[in-house]
Amino acid sequence: MSISTSPAPILTGTKATGNGPPARHDPPIIVFERVSKTYPNGVPAVLDVSFTVQPRDFVFVVGASGAGKSTIIRLLIREETASKGHVLVEGQDLARIRHRHLPRLRRKMGIVFQDFKLLPNLTVAQNVAFAIQVTDPGRSHLKEKVGEALYIVGLEDKLNNYPTELSGGEQQRVAIARALIHRPRIFLADEPTGNLDPDAGWGIVQLLLQINHRGATVVMATHNREVVDLSRRRVLAMEGGRLIRDEQEGQYLKEGEANL
Amino acid sequence: MNPIPALRYVIGVALQNIARNRGIAFASVLTVTMTLLGAGAAVAVVSALDGVLHQEEAQASVLKVFMADHISFASALNMEHTLGSEPTVLSADFENKNQAATQAGSGLGLSGALKILQETGAGNPLPASINLHLRDIAAVSALNTQVSTSALLYPGPHPTDYNKDVIPRLEKYIFAAQLGGAMLVGVVGAVALVIITISVRTAAFVRRQEIEIMKLVGATDWFVRWPFLVEGIIVGVVSAILASAALVGVGLGFGSGGNLALGIGIRFAALIVLGLIVGGAVLGSFGSLVGVRRSLAA
Repeated sequence: MSISTSPAPILTGTKATGNGPPARHDPPIIVFERVSKTYPNGVPAVLDVSFTVQPRDFVFVVGASGAGKSTIIRLLIREETASKGHVLVEGQDLARIRHRHLPRLRRKMGIVFQDFKLLPNLTVAQNVAFAIQVTDPGRSHLKEKVGEALYIVGLEDKLNNYPTELSGGEQQRVAIARALIHRPRIFLADEPTGNLDPDAGWGIVQLLLQINHRGATVVMATHNREVVDLSRRRVLAMEGGRLIRDEQEGQYLKEGEANL
Repeated sequence: MNPIPALRYVIGVALQNIARNRGIAFASVLTVTMTLLGAGAAVAVVSALDGVLHQEEAQASVLKVFMADHISFASALNMEHTLGSEPTVLSADFENKNQAATQAGSGLGLSGALKILQETGAGNPLPASINLHLRDIAAVSALNTQVSTSALLYPGPHPTDYNKDVIPRLEKYIFAAQLGGAMLVGVVGAVALVIITISVRTAAFVRRQEIEIMKLVGATDWFVRWPFLVEGIIVGVVSAILASAALVGVGLGFGSGGNLALGIGIRFAALIVLGLIVGGAVLGSFGSLVGVRRSLAA
């Protein structure tokens, strides 16, 4: 497979603030403390997993299907709660958050998925604006904010297109723009390149790297080996629900390791 | 959250839901209209029946207490006052011997017989009485037992008189009418509730992806619920208006003398319409909350 490593054109001219490397001395923004998750059918998805993520870190969670990557993301957005252990986001134990306070947690996060989750009957601009309309309908300068988010992802000229008129990569960019609209401090991506061709997938990863460079902490679950190896960022490798490797500037596979 | 854009959004989405699922919405409105029509008609019929029965009840709730001839007028008035102060008694009227004779003469056609008695020197044989109008038909028998032992009463075999046979029968009819009406309204209401719940559940299923995204981007449960709630209220209220229009139309068509059919007055008809609208809104909102619950839990 060949992937173009040149910067994606959409990033040219963005106002990257260059927030620098992860803040090693700040308190961690995400903490997994001996977390296990067993689903009601008895299947253990995550087993005794512990790690921390510093603010402005970029972390790949890698592993084969069923390794527990998506469960890590679901635990972070409190779609699931840990069966054992603690998941903390910005120092807050997610198990202690009341159901009615979940929206507040989720507004701090930008979330994208493999299947984009766009509304087909809304235009690109309407899809992005939707995130504000349903959380803060009175917010001013909606148009400007939508325009800015679409500018960051390089789709400012596709405002009035419908999702079906866009490529897979473009649809994922719309999903990222929607996730960016609340200016999240944490950006979670669950297999965002899973439905994309290699070039489009690499473009998405570069966009996420750019978002990270602008100051957001990014956690990306993926089994896309190429993008992990090219990015040279922190890697958390999962296997059978266990965290088997935590490596700075890691690769998808450890040298000599069998394919995950 | 600014309430005006939120309200605009909520109403917009509710109308959009109805327009998008217009087939289901139309079927819901039609069925809920039919059920509310049934409920309204049941209320009207039961109320008319209740009115007739209560009229009968008012006539039957009279206890006539005959007075002994020897008691003084003052004693009779004292007794009238005492019985009139009983909590179950609505009013008490004293009827003297002459009034009793006049009443018997005109009401029962006994004027000839009374005249003969007067002429033969036997005088007026009819006793004076106190006519007690009771608040509740059920209290007649108890009061009768209470007063019939008084020494002031007429010493004959029947010191008091009331409509013994009619009272239990009327009580039974009134209970049956009220119970039947309540059951009919309950069943009809339950049917309307199920229909609105299915309608909203369908709308929520159609919009499941939208709801999922709303929750992911941080919308509150109430923000997700509101459009469905408004949709349910719209379906309920529109159905109630249609049902009311049909009921009032039929009522006016068969009514006379400023009343609707079954002798229902305009004021009571307005109350039925108001009840149907409030009932429709309550059914709609409750059905919506039940309908959308599963989507929010998912």
